[in-house]
Amino acid sequence: MACAAALAVPVPAFSHPHVFAEARLDVTVTPEGDVKSLRHLWRFDDLFSSTVLLEFDANSDLKLDADELKEVSRVVYESIGEYGYFQMVRADDKPVAMKPPPGLMVDYQDDQLIILFESEPESALKLSGKLDFGVYDPTFYTAIDFIEDDQMSIDRLPQGCASAVVRPDPDEALVQNQAKLTEDYFNDPTVEDIGALFATRLQITCGAAG
Amino acid sequence: MNKTVVRIVFAVLAVTYVMTHFLGHAHAQSSLGIGTNEAVLPQTGVLSGLLNWVNVQQQGFYRALTGALKAMREDGSKLWLLVGLSFAYGVFHAAGPGHGKAVISSYMLANEVALRRGVMLSFVSSLLQGGTAIVVVGVAFLVLRGTALSMTDATWFLETASYGLVTAFGAWLLWQKLAPRMARWTGRAPAHSLSAAAVAPARGHAHAHHRHHHDGHADHDHHHHASHGHHHHDHAAGEVCASCGHAHAPDPAAISGDRFDWRTAWSAVAAVGLRPCSGALIVLTFSFLNGLWLGGIVSVFAMAIGTAITVSALATMAVMAKTIAVRMAGDGRTGNVIHAGIEIGGAALVFLLGLVLLTASLQA
Repeated sequence: MACAAALAVPVPAFSHPHVFAEARLDVTVTPEGDVKSLRHLWRFDDLFSSTVLLEFDANSDLKLDADELKEVSRVVYESIGEYGYFQMVRADDKPVAMKPPPGLMVDYQDDQLIILFESEPESALKLSGKLDFGVYDPTFYTAIDFIEDDQMSIDRLPQGCASAVVRPDPDEALVQNQAKLTEDYFNDPTVEDIGALFATRLQITCGAAG
Repeated sequence: MNKTVVRIVFAVLAVTYVMTHFLGHAHAQSSLGIGTNEAVLPQTGVLSGLLNWVNVQQQGFYRALTGALKAMREDGSKLWLLVGLSFAYGVFHAAGPGHGKAVISSYMLANEVALRRGVMLSFVSSLLQGGTAIVVVGVAFLVLRGTALSMTDATWFLETASYGLVTAFGAWLLWQKLAPRMARWTGRAPAHSLSAAAVAPARGHAHAHHRHHHDGHADHDHHHHASHGHHHHDHAAGEVCASCGHAHAPDPAAISGDRFDWRTAWSAVAAVGLRPCSGALIVLTFSFLNGLWLGGIVSVFAMAIGTAITVSALATMAVMAKTIAVRMAGDGRTGNVIHAGIEIGGAALVFLLGLVLLTASLQA
């Protein structure tokens, strides 16, 4: 039985990514100090972009026309909806529900597929305590990369708040969470996806007054 | 140890493993809805660090591959860079989890396949996988473009077919392992085969449709039975080795008939090779779109050979581990029980794996 228990320990499904996207995240804030929205920009790698071109080029002109781009947008929108649009928002380590974006803007420039969208919190989200914003694909199919720290930003930072880009070291994150993970798993098998541990995130910390 | 206990323990282990690791993890379709994701075998805790490292290396290779392809678009002589990178990508790609390794390894565990054959199987299935990728992208590029059928649909179809085959293959393998035992339990087996039945399935030779080889062994058993009396169990356990395929070479019946069960082997190869690898699809699409026909094809085959080397190494390790386990258990009954347990467990794992992947793929 010890053996069975060892095998039963849930371990992350590390598929390796097949798609890479260079991302930008802009957190917009209302003058009242609430999080207004998350603006996303994903620029996909050449190889994946060429797959998209081949798949969606309905009229075989080796270009993606407006109609074809609309179809790309629809397919991706429906798929990533299942994964919360790859967004991870947490207030003091508790997940924050986000509204689905009204749609995705899709473009094809310089052999690269570009996706833009904006998503708002479901209910007012005050900038206080600790807030984390991350973007990741829980299936590991897409690697969403924020290469430079300035690719994650917040447009208005209230007094007493600080922002930082956190890049977890995967090995450390694993070690730190191994024990907790096992425990959580037996208590609650629907424990949050491990991908969140590795995601680069923008962390906003505000003082008690914030 | 009681056989029934061993059987139950293995069944529980296999079911626990599959249930906890696959359900909810196996995403056949990709999260973006474009292209297919590998449904993966997750890692065990001990190896997660290593596999995480492999994962990082794979990302690095993928980026390097992208760079090489772009460079080749400008300068055709960069082909060799691309081939080298593809090969390395293949080696690392296979080091991660995947159904191909599981099927080939389990097949080798469940059947006493000479390592040489196992290595060949790995190569044939990997090359077939590369070939499937070329056909899929070729057809998508030349025929499907502009039609309602997309490459994602074609890949999904092949993938589902592949998982269906894996399931059927696992069920069949399981039946091969269990049927002789069930016959024995129900008491329908002839009395004289009581000891032979305990030995024969354990060697993995219970292929009903393979007369030559079966008969050859019947003779062999009788011979030893006559000369060594009760020692035949020891002999059987000693045969549990990687070189069993050669050990019987002088047996006339074995020489006249091919000992190797091609039908089983081909079903394993087809089950694995039918499903194209996403990495290969992506590289090919980019190559074809940029008119780099030769580059794309050569690169995919380099990738397939790299994959085959890793799969062979892993399958060899699995077989060696089995041999050691049986050796350590010593001769006689315990060795037999462990041997049978590993074989049945291997067959059961293939079956469950296929079933879970198929379900995930059909739900997608």
